[in-house]
Amino acid sequence: MNKILKFVLLLIILVITFIIAMISGISDISVMEMLKSLFSTGEGNTYTIINQIRLPRVIIAIVAGAGLACSGCVFQGVLRNPLADPFTLGISGGAAFGASIGFAFGITKLSWIFLPLLGFLGALLSVGLVYILNMKKEFDSNTMILSGVVASYIFSSAVMLVFSISSSDQLYSAFMWLMGNLAFFDERILPMVIILVMAGVVILCCLGNVINIISLGNEKSNSLGINTARTVKYIFLLSSLITACIVSCCGVIGFVGLMIPHITRKFVGNNNKVLMPFSAVVGAIFLLICDTVSRTVIAPVEIPIGVITSIIGGLFFVFLLLRKAGKISI
Amino acid sequence: MIKIEKVSLSYDKRTVLEDITLNLKEKSFIGIIGKNGTGKSTLLKSIAGLLKPVKGNIFIDDKNVYDMKKNILARKISFMPQTMQFDFSFNVKDFIMFGRYPYTNMFKMASAEDFKTVEDVMKLTETSELEERNINELSGGERQKVLLAQTLVQQTDIVALDEPTSHLDIGSQATIFKLLKMLNEKYNKTIITTVHDLNLAGEFCSDIVFLDDKKVINFGSAEKVLNYKDIEKVYDVKVVVHTNPISKKPVVIPVYN
Repeated sequence: MNKILKFVLLLIILVITFIIAMISGISDISVMEMLKSLFSTGEGNTYTIINQIRLPRVIIAIVAGAGLACSGCVFQGVLRNPLADPFTLGISGGAAFGASIGFAFGITKLSWIFLPLLGFLGALLSVGLVYILNMKKEFDSNTMILSGVVASYIFSSAVMLVFSISSSDQLYSAFMWLMGNLAFFDERILPMVIILVMAGVVILCCLGNVINIISLGNEKSNSLGINTARTVKYIFLLSSLITACIVSCCGVIGFVGLMIPHITRKFVGNNNKVLMPFSAVVGAIFLLICDTVSRTVIAPVEIPIGVITSIIGGLFFVFLLLRKAGKISI
Repeated sequence: MIKIEKVSLSYDKRTVLEDITLNLKEKSFIGIIGKNGTGKSTLLKSIAGLLKPVKGNIFIDDKNVYDMKKNILARKISFMPQTMQFDFSFNVKDFIMFGRYPYTNMFKMASAEDFKTVEDVMKLTETSELEERNINELSGGERQKVLLAQTLVQQTDIVALDEPTSHLDIGSQATIFKLLKMLNEKYNKTIITTVHDLNLAGEFCSDIVFLDDKKVINFGSAEKVLNYKDIEKVYDVKVVVHTNPISKKPVVIPVYN
């Protein structure tokens, strides 16, 4: 099938998923009612539920899904490692550390801004650590992955340390946040996250060709006229920034960055120019479905989205592997 | 014309080559030979702008390779690495198209000219029938042809290759070297390649650089460089040098007793 046609089809699926997500929830709202409240300035319960509760959450799910999948793709390509994802590089570990401090010492209760802010600062701390460790090594892929894993370990121990010395009543919240949760995010931060993440995703998608070249290895990419070390550095910083933005408001959502690119590879191949936009949309659809499931399946209790992403995604991937048994190439 | 002036190269802080001076003529077919670890690849990479000499300078057409802008250099000399890892397999046609990178900017789509070049090169290298295959599914010989095609779409006057025929059977070795010879003779490309097989070097190269003990011990025609004395001294094996009855080129035969 033609790539453009496939892409249009994906966008249609995204729209359908969007509609389903908007009408599912504790209160029953029909498609017509939903559309009416969405496109009018109205009052009343339905209007509030649609515009103030569901819409921001659906949007953050789409944006986060696209951002995570896209940065996952980038890390895999640039680091030439199928197991790389935004979290291999320790970004989520840092965010988790920042947020844990917030929860454990009651800082998050002071104002809504502190949770995303601390999460973001924590993520930057870990990105900074990986960056410094790699400055002299010219952003070699093995060193990058190794230093990311090291950063992850350091920060996850730090999280444990913070929890063990804290007696805060917020530890349960912290736990829920660590598993990835869209319920914590405050819609006042939404515009900033949308702008940063979507701008980043668009730039990364345009860099598909550069990522292709870099994935050929340093010698080839240098001989094709790319300053590989510098380019990898910038791409790493940009994708890290996107991930940091997402993790700091949604918590640690696993699986999306690692598996969505692989699932997408099965359908469109490995050419990053094509793969990146496709991954972004598939990631958006996937996270939206997962979030809808997480808040409806045993409502009013919410299951952390990280749990859902791992279960649904894992099973789907097992299915893909079995179906193509003998021709496995991740 | 490639001028190598008093160049010293080190690899992992170990000096591999010291004070090398060489003038490589345009449109020649140059083979670099020597034992494992004598710095054949190191020398080749430094010519291709991938490894800065610790001392000395390398000039291509009187311009210092390490002062040139990278994308300008990428239109002057192309490089085919000995190994390439494919953690993610690409479609052959996409893969060859990557070689057009120096002619496109970051965001530009491939132009009609890019497609035309890729098509022509694929015909020349007989890779057209592979275009929809995945690079990981190819045999060793097919893969080297595709790597060569990717290097050729870069359309450079100088093509540098690092052991293009290692791990290939004699048939595939011949295919690759015959292609290189055609590029050299018909398309006037300067070919510089490292090569282990002395007989391939003797048969195809117009000039041979013989490296040993951090130095160039001999440089010139195959007949001049492939003499039994130097080969026996460097490789520590007895050899007889004959003449190929068909091509009249030197053939090196090891003697094992």
